Amino acid sequence: MVRFENVGMRYGEGREVLRDVTFTLDPGSFTFLTGPSGAGKSTLLKLIYLAEAPSGGSISMFGVDLAKTGRPNFPALRRRIGVVFQDFRLFDHLSAFDNVAMPLRIAGRDAVSYRRDVEELLSWVGLADRLTALPATLSGGEQQRIAIARAVVARPDLLLADEPTGNVDPDMGQRLIRLFEELNKLGTTVLIATHDRSLIESARAREMRLVGGRLVALGSPAA
Amino acid sequence: MKPRALIMPRDKGAGSLDVVIAVMAFLASLALGAMLIAERAAATWQSGLAGRLTVQVLPPENSAIPLQAQIEAALRVLRGTSGIAHAAIVPEQETLDLVKPWLGSDTMVRELPLPRLLDATVAPGAEVDLPKLRQRLSAAAPDSLLDDHGRWLDRLRGLTRGIIWSAYGVLALIALATAATVSFATRAGLEAHKEIVELLHQMGAHSTFIARAFEWHYFLAALVAGAIGAALAACLYLLGSGLELAGIEAVPFLPPLTLHATELGWLLMVPVAASWIALLTARLSILRVLSRIY
Repeated sequence: MVRFENVGMRYGEGREVLRDVTFTLDPGSFTFLTGPSGAGKSTLLKLIYLAEAPSGGSISMFGVDLAKTGRPNFPALRRRIGVVFQDFRLFDHLSAFDNVAMPLRIAGRDAVSYRRDVEELLSWVGLADRLTALPATLSGGEQQRIAIARAVVARPDLLLADEPTGNVDPDMGQRLIRLFEELNKLGTTVLIATHDRSLIESARAREMRLVGGRLVALGSPAA
Repeated sequence: MKPRALIMPRDKGAGSLDVVIAVMAFLASLALGAMLIAERAAATWQSGLAGRLTVQVLPPENSAIPLQAQIEAALRVLRGTSGIAHAAIVPEQETLDLVKPWLGSDTMVRELPLPRLLDATVAPGAEVDLPKLRQRLSAAAPDSLLDDHGRWLDRLRGLTRGIIWSAYGVLALIALATAATVSFATRAGLEAHKEIVELLHQMGAHSTFIARAFEWHYFLAALVAGAIGAALAACLYLLGSGLELAGIEAVPFLPPLTLHATELGWLLMVPVAASWIALLTARLSILRVLSRIY
């Protein structure tokens, strides 16, 4: 699904943010990405969701070597990835419904075909009555649930989440992890960057630990 | 069913672009109108002069043949020429009327050695052998001059061509200025909505999808602003029609600055052209910027 080989990354002439990172995410796996702040977790996620090019090493996504495939093929690869950003990155001028529907619009689905899917998903994350609400009128937790619904609505092959439960209460956090697990059971590969130990312990998933831009641990699922 | 929401919000500073496009459309409509008026005036003048011949008989200075005899001789030559359907002497009063705007109607004018005129009409489809006619006229009336208006018509055609090409030039400059303005506004818009663009890009949107989301705003804005500019120009031309109806000459010696209903229809082309220029410029600018994103 995702293969990193000796990947290095630096922004411009700055210091190396990632060094010699090698790992593989198998299809259908569930992994937590942990590490202290500044360890390079967000950069690693950016490389996976093709927002940045590595400065060294090679990356394969869905069996495609990114260095060999052309950039015109990137949009199709990106559409197979759902991302929950730490700062949500919602479209401020669009309603909750339209935010969640965006990946389906990008995929070329017509409004009639996705209406029910979007409404059901928003209902599942507890926002059935906020379909027309703009992000600015929603709480941080509600915005985060919209961000999660948007990331999963197109049933991505790979789901990346950067601190997805940071702004929700523990109950909702557990509920969201159950959603990720359900998607994982359906075949979606999940990678979650988090500091939340309770979250890591509650899910049966392996842990990838980054420290100072290096991958220091690649554990197997907790018993 | 609720229409799909616009992917991109409208730029906060888009009003200024609307004003610029409206002004451009107004100027383009004026240039287009000027071109149409010039074409129509040229056609009118040409049809008025084509097929007409004028013979001037100058008061003789040294010639032995008196003026009246020369006039009658020239008239006989004209009437006897194959292809001429009608020939007549222009009454002296009409000649005086022709020079009245320049020389006035003073009794002094009557004493001036003004040429006498003979007017001839060529039969439709017929051709007159002008060199031969000129020869015969100078033999019969040595102080006569034949004018087939060819020189005047050539100048008129040249003037019309000049006006039309100038209008094309003005239209091209306006199109260029509009495209440059939209290009600048698009880049500013992309910068203002950088986060949205990056997010769409990350979500797997093709550049053309993002470009469409943007260009739609510019297309609509240019269509509306262009329509306003063209409507203002149309009002100006309608005002010209009003002045003409009231018998007021807007610009002396020039044809009335009015457009007929069918000609006004051409002004509809302006907002259509403006909107497509805006759309294509926005698309190219956006695609160029997006091509630089990883």
